[in-house]
Amino acid sequence: MTKRAKWYWGIPLWILAIAFLAPFAWMLSTALKQDVDAYKIPMQWIPDPFQWDNFSTVLSGATSVLPAFGRSVFVAVLRVAGELITATMAGYAFARMSFKGRDKLFLVYLATAIIPAQLLLVPRFIYFQKLGLYDTLWALILPGMFTVLGTFLMRQFFVSQPAEFAEAARMDGANEWRVFTRIYLPLATPVISALGILAFVWSWNDYETPLVLISNPERYTLPLSLTNFVDEQGQIAPGLTMAASVISIVPVLIVFVVLQRRFIAAMTHTGIK
Amino acid sequence: MATATVVAAERTTVRADPGPGIKPKGWIGLLFIAPNLLGVIAFTLIPLISVIVLAFTDWNLVSGLGGIKFNGLDNFIAIARDPGFWSAVGLTLVYVGVSVPLTVMLGLGLGIALNRPLPGRAVLRAIFFLPYIVNIVAIGMTWLMLMNPKAGLVNQVLDVFGLQPGWFASSHWALPALIVMAVWGGVGYCSLIYLSALQDAPRQLYEAADIDGAGVWAKFRVITWPSLLPTTIFLLVTLIIGASQGFGLIALITAGGPGDSTTTISYYMYQTGFQFYRFGYASAIGLVTFVGVLVLTLVTWRAQRGRALHD
Amino acid sequence: MRRKRFSRREVLAGLGAGALASVVPGCSGGGARSAVLQVWGGVPAASGPANVVKAFEQRFPQYKVNYTRFVNDARGNLKLDTALQGGVDIDVYFTYSPASLALRAGSGLAVDLTDRVTQDPQLKVFLDTDQPRAYLDNGRVKALATAREPFFVLFNEKLRQQAGVDLPQQWTIDEYRATAKKLTTANTIGAYTVPDVARIALGPNYWYDGDRSNFGDPHFEQNFRIGQDMIREGSAFPWTEVLARHLDSYQQNSFLGEEFHLWSTAPFNLRYLYDPKKFPHDFKVSFAPPPTVDGQDWNGGSYNNFVMVNPKSPKVDAAWEFVKFWLTEGSTPMLAGGKLPTLGNVTDDQVLTGMLGKEPEKYFDVDSFRRVVLDAEPKLATDTRLAGFPEITLAVKQQKDLCWLGEKDPGAAIREVRRVADAAIARNERSS
Repeated sequence: MTKRAKWYWGIPLWILAIAFLAPFAWMLSTALKQDVDAYKIPMQWIPDPFQWDNFSTVLSGATSVLPAFGRSVFVAVLRVAGELITATMAGYAFARMSFKGRDKLFLVYLATAIIPAQLLLVPRFIYFQKLGLYDTLWALILPGMFTVLGTFLMRQFFVSQPAEFAEAARMDGANEWRVFTRIYLPLATPVISALGILAFVWSWNDYETPLVLISNPERYTLPLSLTNFVDEQGQIAPGLTMAASVISIVPVLIVFVVLQRRFIAAMTHTGIK
Repeated sequence: MATATVVAAERTTVRADPGPGIKPKGWIGLLFIAPNLLGVIAFTLIPLISVIVLAFTDWNLVSGLGGIKFNGLDNFIAIARDPGFWSAVGLTLVYVGVSVPLTVMLGLGLGIALNRPLPGRAVLRAIFFLPYIVNIVAIGMTWLMLMNPKAGLVNQVLDVFGLQPGWFASSHWALPALIVMAVWGGVGYCSLIYLSALQDAPRQLYEAADIDGAGVWAKFRVITWPSLLPTTIFLLVTLIIGASQGFGLIALITAGGPGDSTTTISYYMYQTGFQFYRFGYASAIGLVTFVGVLVLTLVTWRAQRGRALHD
Repeated sequence: MRRKRFSRREVLAGLGAGALASVVPGCSGGGARSAVLQVWGGVPAASGPANVVKAFEQRFPQYKVNYTRFVNDARGNLKLDTALQGGVDIDVYFTYSPASLALRAGSGLAVDLTDRVTQDPQLKVFLDTDQPRAYLDNGRVKALATAREPFFVLFNEKLRQQAGVDLPQQWTIDEYRATAKKLTTANTIGAYTVPDVARIALGPNYWYDGDRSNFGDPHFEQNFRIGQDMIREGSAFPWTEVLARHLDSYQQNSFLGEEFHLWSTAPFNLRYLYDPKKFPHDFKVSFAPPPTVDGQDWNGGSYNNFVMVNPKSPKVDAAWEFVKFWLTEGSTPMLAGGKLPTLGNVTDDQVLTGMLGKEPEKYFDVDSFRRVVLDAEPKLATDTRLAGFPEITLAVKQQKDLCWLGEKDPGAAIREVRRVADAAIARNERSS
C-alpha cells in the first residue's frame, strides 16, 4: 500500500458523499423554516424567512430539550462503559478460552437477540416494575450494559486473533487476566472503538424502551422529549423536530470523530512475535 | 495462487479452538462471561421467556395478567391460515434479501476505500456514518420529501434517465423506497465495522503476496476477504435481525401501505400486538419469525466454518 | 448532573424482591401513591389542559393536579395501558380510540360512574342512548365524552367569490361534487376529498349488520367510487400527493396555500386559521354543513375524548370532582384546541373567541359559523359497537388508498374490506 494520498481516488467518494449529504442539507434547511413551508412543493431548499426561533424554542423555555439531552448523555455514557467492559470480556472468552458447551451457549446467546425487541416491551415493563426499576433511568441503563450484539462483535474479532500469543504468554507464566488485558485487549482497540460508537448511537436513539419504561417527563430522554413537538392529532411540528434532531446529532458526531482516530493498525501484532 | 501466500494465510484465519498447548481452566472462561451472561439473563432472558409463554395464549394486554387465556396451538394454526402473515413473510424476504447484501457489499467497498490515505478522510468517514445516527423521525420526514414523485430531488435526478417511480405513493415502489433508505442508513454502519476490522489485516501476508507478485484481486480474495469473514458474518446476522425487527421507519412513513405493500413481518406484528390488541397472536408471530431468522442465522453461521481456510 | 442513584445494596435488594415477586405472580408492585391527583391525557398541556388544571386548583385549593401527556398513537396508548395495568399512579385518564375504549372499559380499568352520573341533574344527558355521549359496558357508564366534534365543510371566501359560487346552506353529495368541479382552477383543486358518504347515509355503527359486517351496503362502494372519480376528473386532491406528502396529517398547510378549496374537516383544525404569524394567509373562511346523501343527514363527527377514572385510584372522589369540573365549568380552556364541550355549557361568545381567536371577524365569516356550528344541531354518529374496530379501520384505509391511487377497482376493494371485516367481527364475537 502506498503511503501518500492519491487525491484522485477521493473523487468518486466525494461525489457519493454529496449524494449522502443531500438529506442533511434538507434537514438543516427545514430546521430553519416555518412549519407551513416544510412540506411546500416544489421543495424549498433555502428557508424564507429564516426561522431562527426554532432553535431558541428547542433550547430554552418549557419545551427545552436540554435537560433531556443531559439525561441522554448520562444514560449513554453508563451504557457504553458497561457494554464495553462486559462485551469485551465475554466476547474474548467465547472466542479464545475453552470450556464445555461454549459454542452451544453462544448460539443460545445469539438466539436471544433474534426475538423481536418490540415483543419484549410489555414483559419488560411488568418485570421491571416488580424490580422497582420502572420510571427510573436505570431501567434504560441496566439492560443496555449487557448486550448480546456487543459480545458477538467482540467474539468475531477475537476469533481471528492467533492463539499462539496466549500460548507463548502462558508459557512465561502469565495468568489469564494478564493474557487478556496485556496481549489481546490492545489489539482490539479499533473494534472496541467501533463498538463504543455503536453502543452510543443505540442508546442515544432508543425510543421504544424509554417510551414504555419512563412516565415522568422529568426523566425523559432526548427521543422522548421530541414528542413535545407532536400534537394530539399526530402532527409533527417539522421545524422544531428538525432543529432538535440537528442538535442531537452533535454529541454522536463528537464521539465518532474522537473514536474513529483509534482506527489505526495495532502494531503489537508483529511486535510480539 | 502461490503457495507461500496460502501457507501464510492459514496462520491467521478463523480458528474456533485455542489450539494445542496449555489450556486455561474452564471455569476461568465462565468467569469472563459471567458479568455479561448474568445481565443478559436478568434483563433479557427472563422477559423473553414470557414472550414464548404468551405465544400460546389469547391475551389483549389491557386485561392484565389475569386476562391471559391459554389456547394451546390455536395461534399457530391461525398463523398458518393467515394471508396477512404470508404476505408479510414474502415482503420481508424481499426486503431483507435485497437490502442486506447490498448494504454489506457497499459497506465493504466503502470500508476499504476509507481505509486508504485520502484527502479529507476523517470527514468522509463521518459523512457516510451520519445516516446511522440521525433519529428516525427526521429521517422519515426528509425522505418523504426527497422521494416525492412529482417534485422530490430523487425523481428530479432520475428524470435524466426517464424514470419517475411513484415511491411511497405506489404499492409497487413503496418497498423499493424503503430498501433504498435501509441501504443509505446501513452502509455507514457496515463500513465502520469493516474499517475497524481492516486495522487487523495481516500485513506480513500482503508483503508475502507482493513478493509473489499477486494482483490486487488475488490479494483481496485470498487475504483480505478471509480475514474479514468473521466480521462479514457479524454484519449479515445483525442486519438480518435488524431488518426483520425494524418497524419504526415503516410506522412513520408508510404505516404498512399503500394497501399492505410495506407490511413486513415486524410491522404486521406491531399492528396485531399494539393496534389490534392481539398480544398473544403477536407473540406467536414473533416466535415463528424467531425460528425463521434462527435458521437463516445458523446457515450464515455454518458458512463461517465452510468457507474459511483451514489448518 | 445528579440523578437519583441506587446504591448497590438497593439494587441487590430490588433484584431479590423482584425475583420473589416474579415467583408470586399477581402481587403488584404499585409503589407509593402521591397526594397529587394524577391525570393522563393526549392533548399537550399547553393546548388547554394546563389551564383547566389551574382553574381547578384555584376552585378547589385542597387538591393538587399533575397532568401527564401521552402521545395518542398506538405506542403511546401502549404506554398508558401498561401503566394502568401495572398499577402506576394514575387517577384520571383519557381515551380517544374506540378500540381502547371498549377494551379498557371491559377489562376493569374504569370506575363504574353510573350512580354518580344519575345523581347529578347536570349530567343527565350522558344517559341518553339515542345520541350516546357515554360509553356503556353492560349497561354501566364507564366513560364520558368530554368533546363534541361536528364535521363541516370550509370554503375559501376569496376563491369562492372569484368563482361566483354560492355558499350552500344545505346541499347533496352530487352538489358537493359539482361545486368542487366548478371551483377547480389551474392552480386550485376543488376539494381535498369526499366526506364519508356511507357515514352520512347510515349513521352510527355503520360497519355492523347483525353479527356480520355491513359492507354489502352500496354506500360503501359509492364512497370509494365518488372519491376515485373525483380524483380522476381533477376535482379532488390526487391521492398520490396525499400519500407522498402525508397530507392527511397536514391538510391545513395546503388549504392555507390554496392548493385545494373545499375542506371537509372538524373544529380541531380551526386553530390554524387565525394565526397570522405561524400560518399567514389573506382570505376569510366560511362554513357549510356536510352534504346529505339520499336524504340522510348524519354528521360524520362524533362525541369523543372520553374521560375515565382508574379503579385503582385511592382518591376516586377527588378524581370525580376533577372529571365533573372538566365536563362542566372547567371546559372553556379546551375550546382553544378545538374541543367543543359535550354539555354545551359555554356561551356563544366563549366559543367564538375560544375557537376562532381574538379577532373572529378578521379570519372567518362568522355568520356562517353561527349557522353551521352554533345554531345547528348536527346528528353526531358515535359508534358503540366496536368489535374488530381497529382491524376494520385498517382494512378500510388500505383499500381506500389502493382505490384512490387508481390501482384497484372500488368493487374489488370493498369486497376485500368485507372479507377482513367479517373475519374480524367473527373472531371478536367468539373470544368475548
